[in-house]
Amino acid sequence: MSIQNRPKMPPAQIYYGEIVYWITILACIVCMIGPVISLAFPERNILDPYNVFNSIFQGKSAEEVWQSVGGRFPGGHFYLGYFTYGDGLTQFGLALGCSVAIWALTGAIIAFLRKKSYVFAILGFWVALLVVLSMTGIVSGQH
Amino acid sequence: MSGEAIWGWIFGFFLLSFAIALVAVIGGIGGGVLFTPFMLAFTSVDSLIVRATGLIVAMFSGLVSTGPFMRGGLANLKICILCAAAYGIGAFSGAQGAIYVAKHLGETGEGLIRLALGVILCSLAVYFVVGGKKIEWPEVKKVDGFTKWLKLSQPYYEVSLGKVIDYPLTRAGWSLVAIMGVGLLSGFFGLGAGWAIVPVQNLIMAVPLKVAAANSGVLLGMGDCIAVWPYLLIGAIIPIFAAPWLVGQVLGGLLGALILIKVKAGFVRYLLIGFMFFACFGLLAKGLTILGVIGTVPLWINGVVFLTIFLTVTRSIIKMSKAAKQEVSE
Repeated sequence: MSIQNRPKMPPAQIYYGEIVYWITILACIVCMIGPVISLAFPERNILDPYNVFNSIFQGKSAEEVWQSVGGRFPGGHFYLGYFTYGDGLTQFGLALGCSVAIWALTGAIIAFLRKKSYVFAILGFWVALLVVLSMTGIVSGQH
Repeated sequence: MSGEAIWGWIFGFFLLSFAIALVAVIGGIGGGVLFTPFMLAFTSVDSLIVRATGLIVAMFSGLVSTGPFMRGGLANLKICILCAAAYGIGAFSGAQGAIYVAKHLGETGEGLIRLALGVILCSLAVYFVVGGKKIEWPEVKKVDGFTKWLKLSQPYYEVSLGKVIDYPLTRAGWSLVAIMGVGLLSGFFGLGAGWAIVPVQNLIMAVPLKVAAANSGVLLGMGDCIAVWPYLLIGAIIPIFAAPWLVGQVLGGLLGALILIKVKAGFVRYLLIGFMFFACFGLLAKGLTILGVIGTVPLWINGVVFLTIFLTVTRSIIKMSKAAKQEVSE
């Protein structure tokens, strides 16, 4: 191991780190505001916030929880039509955080291509593609 | 449930999540390893909701720590992408083949594989105990052509030593095969993989322990973006229930990352040894239960084993800190 001057990080690494970091922080803020809206305006929710915890602690399955306190599960991307709802906004925060690898890898891939580092651009594309397929429901990692 | 009670639960979940994230980021493991058994043991929450929320817990501490790790160079994006690509193939194949192979493998096969994994992990943990400095800062005698071609090495400023570390790497090809194997088992059995990714990087590719732990966190965040969506799409993640866990992971993970950057590699090694022994106990107990050798291990025994391991780890860390202070004063 050698001692050198403090090294500068490659652009792909910086882009990836910064995009993941700031989108995660944004998702965190959204997930802080969402529950506040849920409890302040109980009528602006798909799931009744005053009964959802009871249902969960009674050991009900996810499907039963949605049915008993929300009528039915409106789909994984339900936030698209319910941004002003407490749980719609919270679900948006979750979805934003869970898709962060796509946005960050896109930045990193562009930086890799600029540096003509094609192997890592392709590998990055492959990982991003897996996230996209999973997000659309085409690829399911579940048993 | 009253508004006050709901706020109490939300705040309690946040605090617990914060504490889990702090430990998980320093050890380079997913917080799900701690969250899932705890929730299954002490609450009656449905196991699918626990596993789905467990993924949120496992990934967000890794995601938020990605920024500081990438900025400072403690994590290496090229290694992370390489491992994620291999892990993705393995995990996807494992998950797809699970139902088909499970029919042929049967309960006995699953029990034997868990036992074998437990024994391998135990051997690795023992090697981590006796390996000392060799584990923390591995020496590479020869770099193979494939690893050299990938140009994976990337010097960084090591805060705890106050100098720049340039670490040569080796056996990238074998590491890819091993990570694919880890992904296969992870996808097949639905196991978390943080406990395996750090030793694979460290022992095969010769990645310094702190870098391996930081990479593991980044990798978990990246990889779980694939794993979490099926749960989100079927409604297993209940927004108001998952949100405080996410917020706790983000804030705890941020603090954990700042600590990992400054902490000595020995501290990370001891913490990892603890996690490895605990995971090993879980695998052996589960394997023996499936094979019918023993009955289901009571929850209190799990708690006692966890406490014993982590009291020993804490004692070792205190001893290490005292020895380091003595060295400095001499």
